[in-house]
Amino acid sequence: MSNPIALIGRTATYLLLVLAAFISVFPFFWMMIGATNTSADIIKGRALPGGALWANMVNFFTSVDMPRILFNSFFIAGFGTAMTLLVSSLAGYGFEMFRSRFREKIFGSLLLMLSIPFAALMVPLFIMMANLKMINTYQAIILPTVASIFIVFYFRQATKAFPHELRDAARIDGLKEWQIFLYVYMPVMRSTYAAATIIVFMANWNNYLWPLIVLQTNEMKTLTLVVAGLTSAYTPDFGVVMVGAIFATLPTLIIFFLLQRRFVEGMLGAVK
Amino acid sequence: MGVGVAQSGLARKEQVSGWLFVMPALVLLGVFMIYPILWSLWMSFQVGRGMAFSFGGFANIMRLTQDPVFLRALTNTLTFLAIQVPIMLVLALLFASALNDSKLWGRSWFRTAIFLPCVTSLVAYSVVFRSMFAQDGIMNQMLMGLSIIDAPIPWLADPFWAKVVIISAITWRWTGYNMIFYLAAMQNIDRSIYEAAKIDGVPAWARFWYITIPMLKPVILFTTVISTIGTLQLFDEVNLITQGGPSDSTLTLSLYIYNLSFRFMPSFGYAATVSYVIVVLVGILTFIQFLAARDRRA
Amino acid sequence: MTSFSAGLKRSLAIALAGVSMFSVTAASAGEITVWAWDPNFNGATMNKAAEIYSAANPDVTVTVVDFAKADLETKLQAQLASGTTDGLPDIVLIEDYGAQKYLQSFPGAFEPLSGAVDLSGFAPYKVELATLNGQGYSLPFDSGVTGMFYRSDILADAGYTAADLEGITWSRLIEIGTDVKEKTGQILMPIDPNDAGIFRIMMQSAGSWYFDADGNPTIADNPVFKAALKTYQDLIASGITKPVAGWTEYTGSFTSGDTLATVTGVWMVGTIKANPDQSGQWGIAPIPALDGVEGATNASNLGGSSWYVMSSAPNKAEAIDFLKTVWGEDADFYQEILVNQGALGSLMVAREGEAYSASDEFFGGAPVWQNFSTWLGQIPSVNYGIFTNEADAAVVAQIPALTSGGNIDEIAAAVDAQVRQQIQ
Repeated sequence: MSNPIALIGRTATYLLLVLAAFISVFPFFWMMIGATNTSADIIKGRALPGGALWANMVNFFTSVDMPRILFNSFFIAGFGTAMTLLVSSLAGYGFEMFRSRFREKIFGSLLLMLSIPFAALMVPLFIMMANLKMINTYQAIILPTVASIFIVFYFRQATKAFPHELRDAARIDGLKEWQIFLYVYMPVMRSTYAAATIIVFMANWNNYLWPLIVLQTNEMKTLTLVVAGLTSAYTPDFGVVMVGAIFATLPTLIIFFLLQRRFVEGMLGAVK
Repeated sequence: MGVGVAQSGLARKEQVSGWLFVMPALVLLGVFMIYPILWSLWMSFQVGRGMAFSFGGFANIMRLTQDPVFLRALTNTLTFLAIQVPIMLVLALLFASALNDSKLWGRSWFRTAIFLPCVTSLVAYSVVFRSMFAQDGIMNQMLMGLSIIDAPIPWLADPFWAKVVIISAITWRWTGYNMIFYLAAMQNIDRSIYEAAKIDGVPAWARFWYITIPMLKPVILFTTVISTIGTLQLFDEVNLITQGGPSDSTLTLSLYIYNLSFRFMPSFGYAATVSYVIVVLVGILTFIQFLAARDRRA
Repeated sequence: MTSFSAGLKRSLAIALAGVSMFSVTAASAGEITVWAWDPNFNGATMNKAAEIYSAANPDVTVTVVDFAKADLETKLQAQLASGTTDGLPDIVLIEDYGAQKYLQSFPGAFEPLSGAVDLSGFAPYKVELATLNGQGYSLPFDSGVTGMFYRSDILADAGYTAADLEGITWSRLIEIGTDVKEKTGQILMPIDPNDAGIFRIMMQSAGSWYFDADGNPTIADNPVFKAALKTYQDLIASGITKPVAGWTEYTGSFTSGDTLATVTGVWMVGTIKANPDQSGQWGIAPIPALDGVEGATNASNLGGSSWYVMSSAPNKAEAIDFLKTVWGEDADFYQEILVNQGALGSLMVAREGEAYSASDEFFGGAPVWQNFSTWLGQIPSVNYGIFTNEADAAVVAQIPALTSGGNIDEIAAAVDAQVRQQIQ
C-alpha cells in the first residue's frame, strides 16, 4: 500500500470525508454559537461565541412553558412512534409471511399511495377531525400517522431476511401466530425496530404543518411549533430561537446516539 | 385462489392470520388516507371559492394549462428534482464507497458525522440555514474571506441563489440517509469478487463502475424512488427558509397547494387538482425508473 | 343494576376521564379567548386592555393566545373552511387587507358590532374596510398610517434637513438619495424583492387599488399602478436601494445603520425605538407622493388590523362588552398603548389626548404622534377587496422582470393576467 497513486487516493478520500463531515456538522456549531450571542449580533452575522447564553436561556424559559410543551412533544412523538411501529410491523410481517395474490395487489396500491402529498389530504382530514370533535387533541395528531406506508414497506423488506424456519419451529412448538410475532419475530428484528424508531420518532417530532392546523391552544403546542412561532414573531429574538432550536434537536440526537449501532444493523438487514 | 386439497385448515388459518396482521394498518389507512384521497378526487372536479362548491367538470384541468403560477411551481419542482436528486445520490455513493474501507481510520466517526444532519429538527435547521445564508451571514463571510467572491451574494433575495440555497439545504440534510443505505448494501457484497478483480488487474474506478454499481442496483432504485417522491412533495424547507420566494422562484407544487387552500381565497377544488398532478408525476417517474432498472439486467 | 353493568359503567367513566385528559378544557364562562400575533405589540395592548377590564369586572379573564401572523391566518382559514366552530376564539385579530376576504368567504362567521359599539368615533377608512352590507364587523385597532423614517443625523451630514423632505415626490427622493450616496457613500433604503408592500403604499397614496369597488381588477389600465411600477423600477435603477430577504434582514438593515431610511407604517416605531442608543438620530417625514398622477398624496397606509368577534364565541356578550368598554371608549387606554407599544389606535377622540401631542426626543423632538394623526386623517380610502394576497403574489412574480428594466405596460399586463387567472 505504499505506491504513490494509492497514497494520493487515500489522501483524496480523507480530504473528501473531512470536508463532508465538516459541512455536515458545521450548522450544529453555528446553532450553538448562535445560542451564546444576542439577537442583534446574530443578525449582524457574528461568528464567534458570545456571553449571552445564560440570558438567552432565561428568556427562552420565561417565554415558553417548557414542561408542558416538552410533554406534548414527547407524548405525541413517543406514543405515536410506539403505535406506528406496532401497527406497521404487524402489517409488514403479515404481507411478507402470509402471501396471497389479493394482498399483493393491495400492497402494490399502497406503494402508489406513497406519492400523495400531504398538502392534498390536509383539508379533508381537518374536516374529519372537526366532525369527530377531535380538534386540539393528541389523537388528532397521532392517528393519521400511525399507519405509515413507508414503514410497512420497510418492515416487509426487512422481514425477507427473517428465516421461515424460526416460524415453522415455533409453530411446531404450539405457539399461536401472535405469540410467534411477539416472542420470536420482535426480538430477532430488534435492529429493524431500532432503525424504524429513529425514522418514525424523527418524523413525528418534526411534524410541522398538521399540528399547526390542528393544535389551537398554547398548552397543546409542540416544541417544533413553538420554535417556528418564535422565528416568525415580529421582532424575533434570535438568541432565544437558537436555544429553542437546540432543544428541538436534542431529543432526536440523543435517541440517534443511543440506537446508533442497532440502526446500522437494521439498515443492513433491510437492504439484503 | 386454488380450490381443492391445498385449501387445508392450515392454509385457511394462514389466510385469516394474514388478514388479521394487516387489518389494523389497512383500517387506519382506509380512514385517514383513502377517504381523504377520494374526497380530494371529488373536490378536483368542483369549482368555487371557500365552501361554495359547484360541479365544474374539467374546468380545473383547463385552468391548470393557463395558470402561470402553476407552471412556475411545476418548473421549479422538476428543476429541483433534476438537479438535487442526482447530486445527492452521487455524493451518497461517493461517501459510502469511501467509508466502505474497513482499514479507514475514524470510519464510524465520519459515518456518524455525515448522518447527523438527518436527525436535525426541521425547524432548527431551517432557522440555521436562513441565518447562515443571510446577507451578512457566515456563508458570505467565509466566501469573501477565502476571496472566492468579492461582494456578498444576496442568497435569499435572488431567484437563482435562493434555489441554490434550497438545493444545498436538502442535499445537506438527506445525503447521509442515502449513504447509509448504500453503505449497508456495499458491505453485503462479497469481498472475493473485488479480490478476483484486483488480481485480474482491474483498476479501482472500473471495479467501482462495473462491480459495485450493478450490485447496488436495487438499492439505487429504491433511493431514487424515495428521493423522487420526497422532492416532488417538497414543502417544509421552501416554506420555512424562503417562503416560496423570492418572486415564486422556489415555489413548489405542494406549497402552491397550501397557498391555494390557506393563504389565498380558498380554492379547494383547484388545490385538489394540483395535488393530483403530483400523483400523476410520481406515478410516471416511478414507472420510468423501474423500467430503466429492469432493461439493463442481462 | 347488576354488578356487571355497574362495573361497565365504572370502567367507562374511567376511560372517559382518561380521554378527557387528552383534550383541552373547554373555556369556562367569563373567560374570553383572543387570538393575535406579536406578543410585544398586539398581545401587549390586549393584555393591557384586559387588565383594565378585569379590574372593573373581576369575574372576567382574558387570555391571549399567541401565533405567528401567517400561522394564525392559516389556522383561521382552515377552521372556518371546515365549518367547525370548536376551538375558535371569542376575539380574533385580522389584518385589514384580509378583512373582506374573511367576511365574504365565511358569511355568518363574524358577529356584527355596529349595533353594540358606536363606530362613528373611529377613523372612517378603518370602519369602511370591515363593513359588509351596511354592518360593521370590526373594532378598529391600529392604523398602519405610513411615514418615512430616516436617519436625520446622516442626512444632515449630506446637507438635508427635515424641511427638505416635506411634501416631496418619489423622483425628488431618488435625487436626494443619489446625492446622499455620493456624499456619504451610504445606501438609502432596503427593499425586499419578495414583498409587495411598497406597491400597496404607493397605490393607496393616490387613492387607487388593485381592484375597484366592485372587485374587478384595475391593473392593466391603471395609471396609478403603472406609476408605482415605474417608480419601483427607477428606485432600483438609481442604486439607492439594497435587497434584503425577509423581515429580519429588512428591519436589521435600517436599525443597524446599514441603510438610512424606510417607508413603512407607524407600527415600526417600536422596532426603531428598540435601539435606545440611536435616540435623537431619527426623523419622520411624510411619505413621497407619486409623480405625474392625479390625486397623489403624501399619506397612505400599510397594514393595520382590527379585532373581530366570532359569531360562535362561547362568551360573545362579554367579548363585545369588553371591546366596547375599553377599546371603544377608553381614551386613556389609547394614551398608554401609544406610549408603551407605539400603537396608534383609530379612535379619533384619543387623538386629542396628552400622549398624542407629546413630542418625542427619539425623533428629534418632533410631535411624532400628532403628525401621524394628521396623516391618518388624510389617508385616501380604498376598498381592499378580497384578493389582495393573490394580487401581491402576481406583482412579486414580476419583480425580477421589473428590476431588469422590463417594459411597464407588458409587466402590468402580465400581472393583470395572473390576477384574473387566480381569482376565478
